[in-house]
Amino acid sequence: MNYFQSIYSKFQQRNPILSYTITRSIKFISWIPLIYLFSEHFAYIGIIDGISMKPTFNPDNSISKDRVLLWKFNIRNNLKINDIVFIKSPINPNQIHTKRIKGLQLNSIIPRYPETRSKILIPLNHIWVEGDNIHSIDSNTYGPLSNGMVVAKAVWIIWPLNRFGPIPANGGRECREDKLRYNGSNNNQLNNDD
Amino acid sequence: MTIIKDVRRILSISVRSIAAVHLFTSSCFELSQTEGASMLPTIQTSGDFCIIDKSFKNGNKIKIGDLIVARKPTQPDSWVCKRITGMPGDIILLDPSRDNINELHKRYNENKNDINNDINEIDIPNLNKIGKFNRDPYDMYIIVPDGHVWVTGDNLSDSVDSRTYSVLPMGLIGGKIIIGIYAPNLLKFNGNYYRFLNNTFEDYI
Repeated sequence: MNYFQSIYSKFQQRNPILSYTITRSIKFISWIPLIYLFSEHFAYIGIIDGISMKPTFNPDNSISKDRVLLWKFNIRNNLKINDIVFIKSPINPNQIHTKRIKGLQLNSIIPRYPETRSKILIPLNHIWVEGDNIHSIDSNTYGPLSNGMVVAKAVWIIWPLNRFGPIPANGGRECREDKLRYNGSNNNQLNNDD
Repeated sequence: MTIIKDVRRILSISVRSIAAVHLFTSSCFELSQTEGASMLPTIQTSGDFCIIDKSFKNGNKIKIGDLIVARKPTQPDSWVCKRITGMPGDIILLDPSRDNINELHKRYNENKNDINNDINEIDIPNLNKIGKFNRDPYDMYIIVPDGHVWVTGDNLSDSVDSRTYSVLPMGLIGGKIIIGIYAPNLLKFNGNYYRFLNNTFEDYI
């Protein structure tokens, strides 16, 4: 150990600037894995692109995209109706989509196009997601989605600043069969969107 | 004061090193233990460890016949180890273990001309019918959709796999198993304790 220390002190005496930069950069690099761990498992900032969540995010066709705060710790078991989640797309797993949860496990769902299938029972640990906009590729296309595909939960709008604050809790349509039946306006609710 | 400084230094170094190990195991390689009888000829019921290559995460570059680990769709907190037996666009018979081999050969010969044709020309609803009636639910053919794979265990009689929970989204795939390590042989020093888990389908492709 003394041998290495003597080599290091000699190196430090000969070129102090280089040794300073090397130690500083090593210290900086050693913090990067911690940033990765934090951004992968606790919180991160997500950018929302596209029109699929239009009344809630990106309401006007401006160039700026919405930034939201994402929460990633212990979300898979605490999903609720009307939460906005970031999911891996089942069609292309390297893409990430933003959708709103509209049905949880064991809910009976009436899809947007009831001609193809009148009712869908969601399996255990699956969710039904839909975009707030009608023009969105969501569970109406690819069916219920496993909880494991959920990457993060959006909790707070950060940018643009005039909409800074919590995310609107309502959006999209109601699609759970028991709620629709309770309102007594099954057909009206379905036709509102179309 | 020096004690507080030392404690802070040790804490920060340990936190950073844990994070570095996490970064390595989540993006490069991971060693994990496997359990269960679903992959029996390939992976033992207990005492077997395997090295997982995480560059195959999300089903990147994955091929038919690869061994993968994935989250179980109906139980996302548990991981399963299965072999890929169908890629997007393939036509799958849901449960071949229900039929005897002669029946399968007979049906293959009947539909030989269809199978050699382009996939778009095959009439799947027609294939799923005997005369006017639908086949038994487990005796049907499906096409694996885009972004999904069909996975089965090697031990078909004791495996919960795509025959139960249908197609598996590629987003649930965590990596590919490349090396198996049998722990009891590791302690004996004379046995062959490690083996490469090869793709058994490569001969047929």
